[in-house]
Amino acid sequence: MRLDGSTLLELHRAMLLVRALEERVEQLVTAARVPCSGHFGLGQEAVGVGATGPLRHSDYLFGTHRGFAEYIGKGMTPKEILAEYYGKATSLSRGRLGQHLLKVEIGVMPLPSSLGSEFGISVGCALSSARRGTDAVTLNLFGEGTASSPDCFAALEMATLWKLPIVFVCSNNQFVELDRHSNVSPTVDVAPRAAGYGVPFEIADGNDITVVWETTARAVDRARRGDGPTFLEFKTYRRNTHYTGDPGGYQSREEIRLWEQKDPVDRSRKVLCDRGLLNDQDESEMLAGIAAEIEDAVRFAEDSPHPQPAFIEDEPYA
Amino acid sequence: MGRQISFIKAIREAFHEEMQRDESVFVIGEDVQAGIFATTSGLVDEFGPLRVVNTPICESTFVGVGVGAAMTGMRPVVQIMFSDFTFMAMEMIANQAGQWHYLSAGALSVPMVIEAPAGARGGAGYGHSQSIEAAFMYPPGLKVVVPSNPYDAKGLFKTAIRDNNPVLFFEHRRLLTMRGEVPEGEYTIPFGQARIHRAGTDCTVVAVGRMVHEAMAAATELAAEGISIEVIDPRTLVPLDEEAIHQSLRKTYHLIVAEEGRKRSGFGAELVAIAAEKWFDCLDAPVQRLGAPSIPLPYSPVLEAACIPDSRRIAAAVRNSLQGA
Repeated sequence: MRLDGSTLLELHRAMLLVRALEERVEQLVTAARVPCSGHFGLGQEAVGVGATGPLRHSDYLFGTHRGFAEYIGKGMTPKEILAEYYGKATSLSRGRLGQHLLKVEIGVMPLPSSLGSEFGISVGCALSSARRGTDAVTLNLFGEGTASSPDCFAALEMATLWKLPIVFVCSNNQFVELDRHSNVSPTVDVAPRAAGYGVPFEIADGNDITVVWETTARAVDRARRGDGPTFLEFKTYRRNTHYTGDPGGYQSREEIRLWEQKDPVDRSRKVLCDRGLLNDQDESEMLAGIAAEIEDAVRFAEDSPHPQPAFIEDEPYA
Repeated sequence: MGRQISFIKAIREAFHEEMQRDESVFVIGEDVQAGIFATTSGLVDEFGPLRVVNTPICESTFVGVGVGAAMTGMRPVVQIMFSDFTFMAMEMIANQAGQWHYLSAGALSVPMVIEAPAGARGGAGYGHSQSIEAAFMYPPGLKVVVPSNPYDAKGLFKTAIRDNNPVLFFEHRRLLTMRGEVPEGEYTIPFGQARIHRAGTDCTVVAVGRMVHEAMAAATELAAEGISIEVIDPRTLVPLDEEAIHQSLRKTYHLIVAEEGRKRSGFGAELVAIAAEKWFDCLDAPVQRLGAPSIPLPYSPVLEAACIPDSRRIAAAVRNSLQGA
């Protein structure tokens, strides 16, 4: 499965949008314009955007708490995201969810605060799509920290036992909240654990969006054919701290500089320019369009009404 | 007298009818193909292993599987071998299953039943004997069913499967072999409708699950003394038929609550708080709660029995309440 030029161009734009949106929301968090804190993923945009690239509208995504890459990749808009962060009545959840992005109609499924809870839920989602005779694939994207959840192992066990259409994607950004993964886990790689359950795995460069897209596309295709789950691990690096306001100190300046040189947006830009598919002016126009889209979304969220407390007890039961 | 069948058979019939009626219904859990308490035995022969799914031992994950399947168009019944193990999946039930309908502003629903054998039957010890139904009254979005007899079990179980919300269904292990009248034909029992097992005028006894039978025995004992008690079985703790209890108190002005679960923060605590808030003028004497002490349920049959209310203690509580009148 090869990534074609026009798709790469779309993915590049999506990464630019994710980066600009995360920067903007980080400002809004710092300025206390939104009530929550934020978890951002500067430098790891290629994993979320690339892994959701091969998905269809009807496929399911379980995403991470970090940044917007997979949510934009699956089709959520800055307006929808900002309305949730502001907790406004115009948000899809009508002010109930905040950072826990959800859009059921395009298959963006629950993001539990209690990380790891999505493992069982995602397996159930895959089981259901198979039993209902659909060809939908479930993609569960999580960090290497969440991969320590005991549910991860039982999920792998059941997904392969029942040969379910699911792809487990681990975005390994090397940091587990406020600590290095190497301080809380004895293994550098996470994916080989899947082999213990007979689940095929691959480890690949998470900062090369072509690699992420093509690797995931193979796994999604395998799942859709009915050949069962795959575990993918994409190596990347978290240049942000865990949350906005986290003083950090666990990343070294030198290490950050090193990973800036492997920046996924710079790399896709170079590929596109080398192939004559993008030039500086194209990208400037792209960025101007993105900035306008984001500012429009910020205005929309700012101007939207707050939800009415009078409706607070609506829908406690289905 | 109509057809008499066991509680187990009543549940198995409900499974059978609902699985025939709706292809999206399936059962999942440890050893559901064999059926450890026989409520699912034989289903695999008719419905196959894709609808009667044995799992590895990992309650948290397979309840999660139920949640995910329920969110996307299926109606899973997740069996937990002993209700005590339900706590292993508390995250899935309390933080996930019960909350996403509201959080999603109605975009998601979780039509899932958790079927869990519960209660003390002697000799099983602390982790196989508790009655923990009250713990599920606290998280939002859940419904809690505690049937006391085969007829109610079948009708309520069918309603649970058809409900669009997560429902916890607790089967007392001492009632599983109990026989009772269950008609041949199809029926369901709506949630939130208490059953008055015995009408009375002097004192209202609200009894949960197996305690209904202890309360009925107490009623016989008290009747010989000229005391008439009304025995109310709420059948579902959430939603609760407050109206039936209120109506009864307007006759009796005395309230006793009996449950096998622990008294502290139990069902009785909630009911009595409701009574104090809403029906203060219907109370002529202090309310009395009967339940287990806040200790782990001990193994010795003598100690176990000492933890659990019985007809004698219920009758004593009634006498005590009426003497204060």
